[in-house]
Amino acid sequence: MRPSTRFALLLLFILTVDALLLQVWMAGSGERAEATKQQQATASTLGLTDLCVATEARYTRHPAASDPIAPFMDHPGAIEHFPSGSFWRPPASTISSGG
Amino acid sequence: MQTSFIQKHLNILDYALSSLLRRKLKNGGIALIFSLVIFLLASFQFLTQSLETTAEKVLVFAPDITLQRLSAGRQVSLPDSSIGSLAGIFGIRQIIPRVWGYHFDEKNGANYTILGLPADSIQKAEVSLSHGRLPQKKKPGEVVISSSVRASLELGERKSFTLFRSDLSQASFTVVGIFTDNTDILTGDTILMNLQDARDLFRLGDGMVTDLAVSVTNPAETDTIAAKISGIMPDTRILTNSQIRKTYRTVFGWRSGFGSVCLLTALASFVILAWDKASGLSQEEKREIAILKFLGFQINDILALRFWESIAVACVSFLLGLTLAYIHVAFFEGSLFTPILLGWSVLRPSLNLDPAVTFADLLLVFSYSVLPYLAATIIPAWRSAVIRAETII
Repeated sequence: MRPSTRFALLLLFILTVDALLLQVWMAGSGERAEATKQQQATASTLGLTDLCVATEARYTRHPAASDPIAPFMDHPGAIEHFPSGSFWRPPASTISSGG
Repeated sequence: MQTSFIQKHLNILDYALSSLLRRKLKNGGIALIFSLVIFLLASFQFLTQSLETTAEKVLVFAPDITLQRLSAGRQVSLPDSSIGSLAGIFGIRQIIPRVWGYHFDEKNGANYTILGLPADSIQKAEVSLSHGRLPQKKKPGEVVISSSVRASLELGERKSFTLFRSDLSQASFTVVGIFTDNTDILTGDTILMNLQDARDLFRLGDGMVTDLAVSVTNPAETDTIAAKISGIMPDTRILTNSQIRKTYRTVFGWRSGFGSVCLLTALASFVILAWDKASGLSQEEKREIAILKFLGFQINDILALRFWESIAVACVSFLLGLTLAYIHVAFFEGSLFTPILLGWSVLRPSLNLDPAVTFADLLLVFSYSVLPYLAATIIPAWRSAVIRAETII
């Protein structure tokens, strides 16, 4: 067998695994749609403003609704000390260009 | 003509693959590092994209306008009589006063989000519960909690528990329902109760609320209504639904600390790879090229050979890295990143990540990984192609 044929078979194998993963993802689409509906109804009727991802600090639990100066609150120029804060982008005003 | 062109490049590809396999330790190592770099980049992208997508789908149903009072830069409670002052604004459908805040459980370090709503609003709420019911109007102390909160409070089969008020007296509660795990991404740390119970727990004065959730009749008029509210209540912070969603569109990103670390790691790896490629050819490689030239290979053939070598390594690494990243995020909830994403959180709600991989994600990862790699191999490829065969042999 030519090396290029073996190489093509290797790529085909990885793509087949990807196709199987896609199949698994599509099989769960009904359950996901149901879960999304429940989440939308809960957010709507309880008036929830934020996702419950990191619960360690109020500005990571409610980044949209907590007071805007909460991060870096210890003193001006204080570095962020909660680990989950490292996943958060600094406010647009503190960075010179977008992105 | 076309067939011979394809045949020629197939032959060169065959030779390139054989050449890669001859130095399998070095090339395998490069492919492995490259796959890991792509895995890191793609995992971060899939994870943040998945959270952004969930936020976009769900938070479009957040209140149209949220009204908070700020004093000395901090949020403070406001009287529910403020609702009366907004009565004259045409286009407001409903205003719901809410009491919410955090309760720190000193026993295990968990933070619970306490949410108090008027009993009428709770009765109308379409909340999915795994079992039980919502708190009733004339039954004080009834709450709905998530299964994570239940586990954190170590309730077991018990229904009753107490929380400390700020003056260290105890408030008793009875669990009457459990949120379904499907809504963990919203309610994972939440204790839902009647407004009066939340006021009592936080020792808020009668008629004081944390904020007001305003619904408008026509969402297109939200900004106009927000401006009118701002005119009537200038000491309030007004959050519109679009601002909330905008926060979530920008909050996770490459400029975040962890994103930067991932990116810097990836860049550092590319520097090593580029250095490896550019650090000169071994004597064996030079001899190989010299022999090829004696056999009739031209400069463009040697360039094509190096190009196919790079493409082969990049293709396998890209596909492998992406596949592993998808498995990592979709089936293991991005377990390598979640310790940092969740930080010191004691309650760790199930994220149920659903990475819907888009063409834009793939293009982003491709641009950050494969393109720099291919660019890094151009100069070394040219250097190897212009070797004078007679000086080597």
